Amino acid sequence: MPLLDSLTEALRVLPGVGPKSAQRMAYHLLQRDREGAARLAGTLAAALAEVRHCARCNNFTEAEVCERCLSQQRDASQLCVVEMPSDLMVMESTLAYRGLYYVLMGKLSPLDGIGPRELKFDKLVERATDGMVQEVILATNFTNEGEATAHYLGEMLRARGLRVSRIARGVPVGGELEHTDLGTVAQAFVERRGW
Amino acid sequence: MSRARVDHETAFLLHSYPWRETSLIVEMFSREHGRVPMVAKGARRPGSMLRGALMSFQPLEVTWSGKGEVKTLHSASWQGGQALLGGIGLLCGYYLNELMLRLLAREDPHPELFDAYAEALARLAGGGAHEPLLRSFELNLLREVGYAPTLDHDVESGEALREHAEYFFLTERGPVEADAKLGDLPLLPGRALLAMATGDFSSPETLSHAKGLMRRLIQYHLGGQALESRRILMELQAL
Ligand SMILES: [Zn+2]
Repeated sequence: MPLLDSLTEALRVLPGVGPKSAQRMAYHLLQRDREGAARLAGTLAAALAEVRHCARCNNFTEAEVCERCLSQQRDASQLCVVEMPSDLMVMESTLAYRGLYYVLMGKLSPLDGIGPRELKFDKLVERATDGMVQEVILATNFTNEGEATAHYLGEMLRARGLRVSRIARGVPVGGELEHTDLGTVAQAFVERRGW
Repeated sequence: MSRARVDHETAFLLHSYPWRETSLIVEMFSREHGRVPMVAKGARRPGSMLRGALMSFQPLEVTWSGKGEVKTLHSASWQGGQALLGGIGLLCGYYLNELMLRLLAREDPHPELFDAYAEALARLAGGGAHEPLLRSFELNLLREVGYAPTLDHDVESGEALREHAEYFFLTERGPVEADAKLGDLPLLPGRALLAMATGDFSSPETLSHAKGLMRRLIQYHLGGQALESRRILMELQAL
């Protein structure tokens, strides 16, 4: 296969990139921005060689164990489980949490064949049962997949003697019932608490 | 032939997957038009109106148009009234969805199956025993798609099944009185088959025979392809 065609074909691994956009990208890289293309090639190769999953939190890192997991400033008795690195970033920017994390890199998705084996539930169990962690906070999304993931993780971790909690959901801060979607209002009602 | 535009029809989302950069392909199961694949344009954009509404196991009111195989979804909103599923109820829900995705032809209306599905979800949300519900839905589905198994008479002799006799179930035909030369097929008591025929899955005996039989029939009609949701449910239960 000519190199130009191989490049177009290779670019199609990117999500949402079809044959037409792949061809456009290939022309752009080779014609308009050869310097950018060289940088992309170099960085991609380096990242592939160096970036791996942290042995403790499963997030991306270049070290065996990432900086956050090694930090003495964090509370090692709390472990917050999130689906993706972007969720971890959101939790961090709230400044509301000082514990450690575990990043699943996905969620249970039975129709796509993503189950406990694909998500390496055993790696999380090993992490959560290190003797330091006392509470696991499940912060997966409030989608059906996120709920299913939280349910099974909860059962599995409770069975190993850990305290398990789930982040709360409800009407947004500053939100008015009138302008909140029905599902949120209905669930906030179901999950109402003593006052 | 399908009309170009369908307004405000009740439907459930069976599955969705990413399409292009910001869209989704959604497989809807609508009451009057059956299973209809649609593209939900821009549904993966953060501010999309569709984004929050496109959730499985909730009755939706949807409007779509198009004459091709894949329609265009214009709007989807929650109808409400169905509690969210949780725990094993969710996994059972995924299993029902996968069964329908695999066995229902596109744009083949099944209003009665639709009602049975809505009823099953309501019972799953209410924490009802899930095994009887799954078996009865499986049987319903097989009947709806034209694979109704014979459960009340012997397909060789034509005689009604006897409560206390034992039968083999020939996958492509139905029950025949147990006979050593048919080999090692599982033995099914007449009373279990008769109970299944009337949709009565209340006894543990019927339930355990129905599980094996439905699995065998579904596998056969799927051409031996495995169901992902079933594998994952079993893996989760083994944790
Ligand atoms: Zn780490």
